[in-house]
Amino acid sequence: MRLTRRSTFAVALTAGLPGFASAQQSGQVVVGTWGGDYGDLLASNIDKPILAPKGVEVVQDVGPQDPRKTKLIAERASRRGSMDVCCLSDVDMFTLAQQGVFEPIEEGRIPNLARAIPSLKRPYSAPHIYSAKVILYNPAKVTAAPQSYADLWDPKYRGRVGLVDILHLQNMEAASLAAGGTEHDYEPGKRKLMELRSLDAKVYPSNEALAAALKSEEVWLTIMWLARGFMWKKSGIPVEHAVPSEGATSICFEMSVPKNARNRTGAMAYLDAALDARAQTAFADRMGYAPTVTDAQLPPELARQISLTQEQQAKLRTPDYEYIAKNQVALIDFWNKEFKR
Amino acid sequence: MGTLTLDAISRRYATTVAVERVDLDVAQGEFVALLGPSGCGKTTTLRMVAGFVPPSSGRILIAGRDVTKAPPHGRDTGMVFQSYALFPHMTVGENVAFGLEMRKVARAERDARVREALRLARLEGLADRLPRQLSGGQQQRVALARALVVNPAVFLLDEPLSNLDAKLRAEVRIEIRALQQRLGLTTLFVTHDQEEALTMADRLVVMERGRVRQIGTAEALYERPADAFVAGFIGRCNLLRGTPEAPGRFRTPGGALLPCLPQQAHHGQVLALRPERIAVATAGDGLAARLVAVTYLGAQTEYHLDLAGTRLLAIAPTPAEGDPRRALAPGDAVLALWDPAEARLLPAEPGDLPDDAT
Amino acid sequence: MAALLLPATLLVLGLLVAPMAMLFRISLNRYDAAQMMQEALTAENYLRALADPYYREVMATTLGVALSSTLLALLIGFPAAYWLARMESRWKSLATILTLFPLLVGNVVRAAGWMALLGRDGAINAALIGTGLIAEPLPMLYTTGAVIAGILAVVAPYMILTLAAVIEAIPRSVEEAAANLGAGPLTSFRRVVLPLALPGVAAGCVLVFILCMNAYATPVLLGGPQFKMMAPAVYDQFVRGTNWPFGAALAFLLLIVTLVLTILGSTILAGRSRSR
Ligand SMILES: Nc1ncnc2c1ncn2[C@@H]1O[C@H](COP(=O)(O)OP(=O)(O)O)[C@@H](O)[C@H]1O
Ligand SMILES: [Mg+2]
Repeated sequence: MRLTRRSTFAVALTAGLPGFASAQQSGQVVVGTWGGDYGDLLASNIDKPILAPKGVEVVQDVGPQDPRKTKLIAERASRRGSMDVCCLSDVDMFTLAQQGVFEPIEEGRIPNLARAIPSLKRPYSAPHIYSAKVILYNPAKVTAAPQSYADLWDPKYRGRVGLVDILHLQNMEAASLAAGGTEHDYEPGKRKLMELRSLDAKVYPSNEALAAALKSEEVWLTIMWLARGFMWKKSGIPVEHAVPSEGATSICFEMSVPKNARNRTGAMAYLDAALDARAQTAFADRMGYAPTVTDAQLPPELARQISLTQEQQAKLRTPDYEYIAKNQVALIDFWNKEFKR
Repeated sequence: MGTLTLDAISRRYATTVAVERVDLDVAQGEFVALLGPSGCGKTTTLRMVAGFVPPSSGRILIAGRDVTKAPPHGRDTGMVFQSYALFPHMTVGENVAFGLEMRKVARAERDARVREALRLARLEGLADRLPRQLSGGQQQRVALARALVVNPAVFLLDEPLSNLDAKLRAEVRIEIRALQQRLGLTTLFVTHDQEEALTMADRLVVMERGRVRQIGTAEALYERPADAFVAGFIGRCNLLRGTPEAPGRFRTPGGALLPCLPQQAHHGQVLALRPERIAVATAGDGLAARLVAVTYLGAQTEYHLDLAGTRLLAIAPTPAEGDPRRALAPGDAVLALWDPAEARLLPAEPGDLPDDAT
Repeated sequence: MAALLLPATLLVLGLLVAPMAMLFRISLNRYDAAQMMQEALTAENYLRALADPYYREVMATTLGVALSSTLLALLIGFPAAYWLARMESRWKSLATILTLFPLLVGNVVRAAGWMALLGRDGAINAALIGTGLIAEPLPMLYTTGAVIAGILAVVAPYMILTLAAVIEAIPRSVEEAAANLGAGPLTSFRRVVLPLALPGVAAGCVLVFILCMNAYATPVLLGGPQFKMMAPAVYDQFVRGTNWPFGAALAFLLLIVTLVLTILGSTILAGRSRSR
């Protein structure tokens, strides 16, 4: 109790003095993130080299995305949350931002955001790494490289197209584009997907199961992130990628700060560090995701494999998050009840 | 009903020989008791007959049929287990009817036979009870009725009385024997209680460490024991170490010369002499001994004697008031006398004598 | 005594009842795309789930898988439990630990093992093709059979250990008495062992049935995306669809069906063991 009074006094003082802001930045930052490569890369490229010298101690709260999402929703009402920084993919980030769980992003507190690709910026999050949705195909079996999503509907590939269950939204969007529709309405895609269903498309429960099916040449074609295709190719799975003429759609992994974060200042510093050019190149090399800041330089060979050409970049689509958020219950119902059964 | 023959059956386990070459013939309607100290192989022998333990070697014949390889349910034995082993989920009536059902006896006959068995076992009116609603004695009688109702060729009992209190045990002993005789059951009965065996059985089989020591009637075992173990196990007996000198003379380590039945020395090295066959006198013939202790037991009195360093027990009806022997006290000099025919030389194995350290 | 019990009782209430009460409350709310959830007191989630043929089918699949897995677990588990219960005491503890062995790996890891076994390029297909028995790989993964096999491997230890505890309490001499009275092994099993083991059969079946009804990882990984059981459907609503009220209603329906069948089943079994 004796201490509390003094520390309350100190906080009151520093809050009033801008010069003391950096002092408050230090302390602990809890980052809700994936484990594996992603978590390791965060630790070795951001936590240790950039934040540790500033006195920020980073604690990773490692787990899959779905529980993290659920945790954020469940903690929505509490005054003090368990995470300071939350890593999610773009669609989920938007859905949660709609619930009002995140601090608004102030570019003034995140200097590196000035160099981020403009189309990836959101008012509620910082873009960390990104990739594009492409077609992966087995070059030995599919001799003429596919040009568009619509090529997957070619009857000669009957039973050779595999989709992954967890990308149900992405698959529906691709089907809509193949049907001549847009990312703003998946209705045309539903009919198109039912066609693919009658062409014996296979659905796999996880990326790993799909990878195994591609490796064994059980299926030859799929819709997948370019980054993952790059990793699979590196690990000996026989795939090449083709950017669909309908235009690739971006996937962005983002970071944001929950409103009830305990250390919001430290969290903003974390977001800034994540956009550091050196840190970003490490993710490109190890995971195949492209940097979201323009000053990150990739070796040309790597860049060729994981990024889009200027022309492809120009056609890059952003998912219609609002449409997805509004319709996701109906969309998953369609996917489960009609497409998959 | 039938006979039972054990032909050199043995049962060996990894570290022990539970039963070693046991031969036995049980006649039709005969009651034979297996008697011996705990662990001597009685239960194993009985379980080999029932078919629960396969013999390592030898043959078992029931009513002349070789059943050595037959499963338990193909042997037609009726067994009463030490724990009774009643079916806890069946009523008394269902328990007793079970064996008849297995033999596909028609409903009407089955009911009649169950009723009769329950009557014989004095269980009328308890047919609809569950075993757990019965006293120990009643449970025991259900087990008897259940085994008997099927008219087994051989009736087997493994210490069936050991879970009853002393008073009940004496009663049930007589009941079982009466039933067995009335029904003419060929019976093999296991017990470690010699009184039980002596009062119930036509013949006894004395076992020790897996082997049969002697088979005979109660009288034969008592009067003419085959060896020192049997003599010591059945009733009480003075078993003296020493050396047979001339026929009819036995020298104790203390130097005393005891009269005995004239036998060849190879009959054995141990002199067996029943305590009640020794007369204790204050005057007349006899070997001089010193009284070590006197125990008055009402009808009988026990005299512990020292005969040139050898201990002897004598038991005699308590003498009448006024008889000088009534006044005997420890330290008194007495005379011990017996008919030499009562003192027999017996063979002994290590461990047969109570003072053997093994 | 009451004072001592109070904190424990409160803890149990807090741990068991509170989340259930929360879940039930949520199930009465209304879904809203923007707000996720609107406070309400409506039965519409339940009505929608009951009216939707899709969820009726999912429930039917769940029941089918749970009932057949329970029955198979009983059929496989009984002989194993009997053998374990009647084992020499020296080996028994070792065998008990071995029975528990499958539970040492998580469901996901175990499912991965099954996938390696049952897949198109899995060990079984490789062996069958290698020996020339078949030319094309048999589809085994992503079938109902794969799910049941996977679930069985998880629940069998529970069934075996529950049954073994009860069989162990049946004296061997009672079985010997049956044999002595002329009952062959099958009759002895039917008339003596089974009726006496019935409480264990009931307990094992209830335990296993509940585990099967709530299976998640195994149906997802071995059943494939087209295969749906209730637990994954609930997860889909909560996490992928963010429709908590409907997910909570589905969870409650699953709970109620499980509870009703469990009570029904054990009442029937208990009645049988009494009347016998
Ligand atoms: N299953 C068995 N395994 C090993 N030894 C046994 C077994 N059953 C009995 N024995 C041994 O065989 C001997 C005889 O046992 P048992 O027939 O039960 O004796 P009893 O009934 O006369 O007391 C004992 O030494 C016992 O330890
Ligand atoms: Mg015994």
